[in-house]
Amino acid sequence: MLGVALVSPLALWLLATIAYPIFSLIRLSFLDVGVIGTGGEFVGFENYQRVLNSRAFWPSMGRSVVWVLGNGLLQTVLAFSAALVLNMPFRGRALARTWVILPWIVPTVVAIIVWKWMLGTSGGIVNTILLRLGVIQEQLGFFSTGNSAMASLVGINSWRFFPLLTIIILAGMQGISKDLYDAAGVDGASAWQRFTNITIPGLKPVLFVMGLVGTLWSVNIFDVIYLITGGGPSRGTLTMPVLIYDMAFLQYRLGRAAAAAVLMAAAVTLFTIAFIYFLAPREADDDDEGWQ
Amino acid sequence: MTEHKRSAAIRYTLVTLTMCLIIAPFYWIYSSSVKESTEIVSLAPTLFPQTFTLTHYANLLSSSDYPIYLTNSVVVSAATMAITVVLATSAAYGLYRLPFPGSKTLYRMILLAYIFPGSLLLIPLYVMLSSLNLLDTQLALIIINVTFAAPFSVWLLKAFFASIPFELEEAASLDGASWLQTLLRVVLPLASPGVASVAIFAFITSWTEYMFASILIISDANRTLPVGLAGIIGQYVIDWGLLLAGAGATTLPIILLFVLIGRYFVQGLLEGGVKA
Repeated sequence: MLGVALVSPLALWLLATIAYPIFSLIRLSFLDVGVIGTGGEFVGFENYQRVLNSRAFWPSMGRSVVWVLGNGLLQTVLAFSAALVLNMPFRGRALARTWVILPWIVPTVVAIIVWKWMLGTSGGIVNTILLRLGVIQEQLGFFSTGNSAMASLVGINSWRFFPLLTIIILAGMQGISKDLYDAAGVDGASAWQRFTNITIPGLKPVLFVMGLVGTLWSVNIFDVIYLITGGGPSRGTLTMPVLIYDMAFLQYRLGRAAAAAVLMAAAVTLFTIAFIYFLAPREADDDDEGWQ
Repeated sequence: MTEHKRSAAIRYTLVTLTMCLIIAPFYWIYSSSVKESTEIVSLAPTLFPQTFTLTHYANLLSSSDYPIYLTNSVVVSAATMAITVVLATSAAYGLYRLPFPGSKTLYRMILLAYIFPGSLLLIPLYVMLSSLNLLDTQLALIIINVTFAAPFSVWLLKAFFASIPFELEEAASLDGASWLQTLLRVVLPLASPGVASVAIFAFITSWTEYMFASILIISDANRTLPVGLAGIIGQYVIDWGLLLAGAGATTLPIILLFVLIGRYFVQGLLEGGVKA
């Protein structure tokens, strides 16, 4: 049982830092706790009622859905385009494939600093270039309204994450047999036909995992939103993680924030079950080595 | 021939555009961080620096708390890296080379842990670490960063361990080597690109972590780089020169690490995606 002994340190570590905290989060959501170390009386579902009846809850859930869909769409488009480009033969391909990951590995704070600055309205480089090219007549306020701020944040977050998806798609493309493309070439299939009939089906297992993990990751994004807009303007970018953070650490309502977190987790879990039930590729079911 | 040339031209244009999207923001950080303050905030930004100065970097190192943040980040990231490498390689060795009943389920549970949302764990971990009197300590950050780095590392190692023939281990044990000797002398050297990938991933995870560091650390003396930099953004009047120098200096170690072992890291991601 050497195997068990070697795995157990990590397993115990994760039990203590993930499994136990989740249990205590659920417990906390039934307690009347404000600031940490205070209160602690059992209040049943009161926290849940208050959260569900609060004005901020449902709009935040809605914004989180918009956030996930927007990110999913933009990142998929960017990642597919980049993967197709980097899959072509060209000089320096290995180098390009390594460095494409750069936005994913730099600190979020750095990405935030540079984008906040580039998208600024007084001397921001993006506005300047667009003005000089004549694309726009006056400065765009990238963070001035709720909707424009949401769109800008989706763009910034997608810039950070699409490189990882690009690598994952490239990995999937390597797994598709070259013979298929050769045969299609002999049959006179166009590039678009090859893409829709060979590449996309071949990538199905990878796309499945990407959709699932990508959603779970993006729904939880906190720092990009919090550090650029703080949820504003006029709550336009107040997604669930920002709302929960606000409740817990700015309004000092830990119990209520825990209830909101549990509700969000429930929504995410429902989504995950539905996603797996409806979209899991058949092969993955009996393949124990499957992309989990 | 012209057809061929045209398609090559299109190819290289597309590649250039893609890489510009990736690289341009970094160019903008570094090229601007050496401009004079007046040029940085000028309403007509200059694509190429018209002035050159290292004042912002000098200020960063001499008259800001950056050196403190830097030291803290190095300590936390190095410790996270060391613990993650030990935990993840030993777990991966157990899971992939010495499979036991239930090891596949356990592997899946560990991966599930990776999906688990940080924002969900923030509140309970905060309560837990506070009751353990670990608030405002670097140990708290190390514990949490390992939690977020280790599961992915176990997955990353899978492809590397899978490529090592079992015969080598059998031969080693016939020669009387203990499992530890086999692991250290036979398996790990062959999987070293994988171990390097894990090390770089753990380091980066820790180096960039913001959310937990912003809540768990209270005193300025214990702050890490992301929180320190975020503090500068939050100020009423932002010193952009200082901020850009800070962003550039914070990114530099990652770029250097990546120059050294980035190849293996991406190779690990690519192979993991195919073979896993």
